[in-house]
Amino acid sequence: MSTEDYDYLFKIVLIGNAGVGKTCLVRRFTQGLFPPGQGATIGVDFMIKTVEIKGEKVKLQIWDTAGQERFRSITQSYYRSANALILTYDITCEDSFRCLPEWLREIEQYANNQVVTILVGNKIDLADKREVVRQRAEEFAEAQSMLYLETSAKESDNVEKLFLDLACELIREAKQNTLDNSDNSPMPGEGKSISYLSCCSLN
Amino acid sequence: MNENIFLFSSPLSLSLSLSLHNSSYLLSLYFLSLFLSLSPPVFSSPFLSPSFSRHSFSLSLSLSHSLSGVCGCCGALRPRYKRLVDNIFPEDPEDGLVKANMEKLTFYALSAPEKLDRIGAYLSERLSRDVARHRYGYVCIAMEALDQLLMACHCQSINLFVESFLKMVRKLLESDKPNLQILGTNSFVKFANIEEDTPSYHRSYDFFVSRFSEMCHSGYEDPDIRTKIRMAGIRGLQGVVRKTVNDELQANIWDPQHMDKIVPSLLFNLQTADSRSPSPLQVSSEKEKESPVELTERCFRELLGRAAYTHIKNAVTPVLMHLDNHSLWEGKTFAVRCFKIIMYSIQSQHSHLVMQQLLGHLDANSRSSAPVRAGIVEVLLEAAAIAASGSVGPTVLEVFNTLLRHLRLSVDNELSGAYELTEEGSKVIQEHEERQLQEAVIRTIGSFANTLPTYQRSEVMLFIMGKIPIPGVHPILPNGSGPEGNRMIQVMLLKSLRQVTSGFQTTNMLTALPSAFLEPLLCVSLLETPELRLLVLQILVSLIDRHHNTHHFSCISIISDTSVLKLKLDKCSRQDNLFMKKHAQHLYRHIYLCCEEASSAHTHFHTLYTLLALLSIELANEEVLIDLIRLALALQDLAVSGEECLPVFNRCAIHALCAAYLNLISQLTTVPSFCQHVHEVIEVRQKEAAHLLPEDVFIDDPRLPASLEHTQECVLFAQSKIVEALGGSGYNAEKLATPYVPLNIDEDRLSKRKSVGETISLQVEVESRNSPEKEERTPAEEITFQTLKSAIVDSEGMEEAERARRRQVVEKFQKAPFEEIAAHCGARATMLQSKLNQIFEITIRPPPSPSGSLPASSTSSYAQAPPPRSVPVYEMKFPDLCVY
Ligand SMILES: Nc1nc2c(ncn2[C@@H]2O[C@H](COP(=O)(O)OP(=O)(O)OP(=O)(O)O)[C@@H](O)[C@H]2O)c(=O)[nH]1
Ligand SMILES: [Mg+2]
Repeated sequence: MSTEDYDYLFKIVLIGNAGVGKTCLVRRFTQGLFPPGQGATIGVDFMIKTVEIKGEKVKLQIWDTAGQERFRSITQSYYRSANALILTYDITCEDSFRCLPEWLREIEQYANNQVVTILVGNKIDLADKREVVRQRAEEFAEAQSMLYLETSAKESDNVEKLFLDLACELIREAKQNTLDNSDNSPMPGEGKSISYLSCCSLN
Repeated sequence: MNENIFLFSSPLSLSLSLSLHNSSYLLSLYFLSLFLSLSPPVFSSPFLSPSFSRHSFSLSLSLSHSLSGVCGCCGALRPRYKRLVDNIFPEDPEDGLVKANMEKLTFYALSAPEKLDRIGAYLSERLSRDVARHRYGYVCIAMEALDQLLMACHCQSINLFVESFLKMVRKLLESDKPNLQILGTNSFVKFANIEEDTPSYHRSYDFFVSRFSEMCHSGYEDPDIRTKIRMAGIRGLQGVVRKTVNDELQANIWDPQHMDKIVPSLLFNLQTADSRSPSPLQVSSEKEKESPVELTERCFRELLGRAAYTHIKNAVTPVLMHLDNHSLWEGKTFAVRCFKIIMYSIQSQHSHLVMQQLLGHLDANSRSSAPVRAGIVEVLLEAAAIAASGSVGPTVLEVFNTLLRHLRLSVDNELSGAYELTEEGSKVIQEHEERQLQEAVIRTIGSFANTLPTYQRSEVMLFIMGKIPIPGVHPILPNGSGPEGNRMIQVMLLKSLRQVTSGFQTTNMLTALPSAFLEPLLCVSLLETPELRLLVLQILVSLIDRHHNTHHFSCISIISDTSVLKLKLDKCSRQDNLFMKKHAQHLYRHIYLCCEEASSAHTHFHTLYTLLALLSIELANEEVLIDLIRLALALQDLAVSGEECLPVFNRCAIHALCAAYLNLISQLTTVPSFCQHVHEVIEVRQKEAAHLLPEDVFIDDPRLPASLEHTQECVLFAQSKIVEALGGSGYNAEKLATPYVPLNIDEDRLSKRKSVGETISLQVEVESRNSPEKEERTPAEEITFQTLKSAIVDSEGMEEAERARRRQVVEKFQKAPFEEIAAHCGARATMLQSKLNQIFEITIRPPPSPSGSLPASSTSSYAQAPPPRSVPVYEMKFPDLCVY
């Protein structure tokens, strides 16, 4: 018997330059809306959403970080425990794309080395203002062995897919991990280890 | 106690139970209410109070309601604990927790602790469901019940219950509803204050730290709610710290992964509230309520207060990072405030760790702008002032080394215009900023030095001295900075030294001021520029003044009666006498050479006067007194005969200095005829030659004659009269008959004065006069000549004096203690040695290169010089400090 309401728990952290639309992506996914006049995030933001994938309940703990430089030290402290990172840039802003190598260095330095990273080019609804062509981003992502997706928080394009794909990938990795070293790997899929504990506590 | 008793209790057994447990009235009450809740609603006992029966009625209703809602038909088979839990929820959540049933539940839990974890699990299940269905009233009730259970049962076996409890708090914290977040936090805080006695193996507070930190940054639109969420976050963090800090099994809360979240979150709240502080009105109206800033500060202090030695680094590093990221060094105020909180909150024996981190951070910011570095230095200054004495810790010299390195770095930046600025104006700004930084570093050096005991302070003085680039003594700056860089560094280091020496008190001058310190300080190359010369004089003054008499003599004046000053004096100690034996000649010479410099201004003469006065009252025994009078007379001679090298102002100034000083020293000797003579001369000057008195010389626009050619004998102090006066009073004044000559006793053989030009003067004197440099260097030449002359005089002349001296020497060797003899011989040996060296030097030195006569000759001659043999001070060992 499990008192938990989920089978898997994953921590996802969004990173990327200020203003690329991280908060909008999260709110579109968790609340189904595109917030008008979304202000810059202060420090970190937190949202939770539980989704069902192939009959399994997956709880996604989403930490949306501030892109502003001055919050860098607090946001970095959140990378460490992340199961997945969504590295976001704005396809209408060349600058946000050019900063990606810098972000990768941060990931290298602060994140867990098993972390799943996905590159997201946001704001595809603004096609006429596009500054970064798709192919360029795809090549970059491939070179860094990241997944790549283009989204629009405004039009809700690919937002659901982004988080669900990520969840699938995380489940796949979690299963792989439990196969590899049967138990004692609490990292991805924390939900399993917790329900194991509460089972024990019953008798 | 067994739950079966409760289950099958009837009205009959009730009385039995009452009698069984009448020791506890409370227990019986539980019984009663328990029984009532199980009875059918129609049952109403006549002996119960109306309120009680009303309660039982509504309870039973809610029971049947929840039974039908949850379990349907199988209600009767539900475990007892579930029924008890269900009963605490009213029909209408607005009514709040059903208190009586809560008491039953509590009683049950207390009597059957093994059921506690099931109760917890079931409550948490209900709560999760209520959260999902947005039934927030029930959520609050469930949480209240949990809190009460936790409080009531906290002694034993709550460990498993805590699992469910935390799961529920977590659930609430996961919500995006502010109310639930705050509710969860409040419960967590209550829980945090419970001291558990059993270790908790599999508890993780990661989520709580992350979430509470996130709440501290809440960006919620409504400002009131935002403040509430942020404050909840702060209290939550405080709770996590309290809960984990003493639990050895817990993942270390001091690990960077937690500290990097907790500390910036606190600082963020400390800082944002800073900008919009509440109006005074608001403050008074909400007196009892703690403001977010106050709460944050209290929490931060608590955190720091709990930090052990090994935790300090992890707690302070995020502070440094935060100040960096938010560019808060430039503004200073916030950074200073943070570190004041830190210094006052940590255990005082850890303060040096903070200092070291700040110093390390200063190093890490070597490439940052001057205001950033100045901000860090300012913080160091404040922190050092707070830290208890000795807070500099085991690495005293490292502290000073870092500060001095930054001083030098700043000078380099100022000279090179390090950061390649585009606009013309910004270079000026940059220079200004570097200057401010330098001032801050110098003040900080002083602040650090103030925390040191005397012996360490003199080590630091020696250390700084060793860093001063003095040609031939200490290595000069590497290429690039050039002579200007050298001079600037000399100024900066002497200013630092002045800071360190101010307030320096020692009873033993001999050990506190070793030759390794004094000799470079008195080195002639530091005489060349007026600024350096003044600094050296000021340092000497603060070293010598041990009774705070400086202020009496800070301005040259004729003090008609020194007794009004009420000078504080002690008799010279043996160490003082030995010190003077060893160093007096050096000091006299320094004073003489200072007067000889044409570029000396008012301040120089004021300080010279202070120095002479302090020497006389602090360190003068009879012999020194005579020497000082002899020096004063020599200075008068210099003023009289110096027409070719000194401007009229300087000559008048020297006359005035002699007048003021002889006036003072004559009163100190209390020899009437001496005082009389000095007084007479001053009176004559007042009438006929006021330009030779300080009152007329040291004013803004002194009216001085064009020349001093016609100075008459009567306005001068007469050596013969002084000898007579002192001799008549039993002073051994014979020495006064021999005019004082500044002996060249130090080893500044590579300094400018004894450079190329001098060599020529000795080899072919006439020729050398033609070189342009020589013309302005006449005094140097004179010294050389006199040095040789006096050497001859010393060895041959004055049979009488020599015989007397011999007698004295024999006497001294018979009576004096060994140390004194040793010191005496040491001084003589040094003198002889230096004279030999000098002659040696002169004879073997290769002929000068043609560049020797160029204005830049001083630098080029350093370049040719053989590497100095003396060990730079900084390479010397400091056993005391290193081991300590
Ligand atoms: N057209 C369009 N605009 C978007 C989209 N996503 C975000 N924006 C806009 O971009 C701006 C910034 O969005 P945010 O979500 O606040 O950006 P952020 O990455 O969270 O920024 P920080 O919190 O400062 O790091 C807002 O004005 C949004 O309205 C999108 O998909 N399409
Ligand atoms: Mg944002």
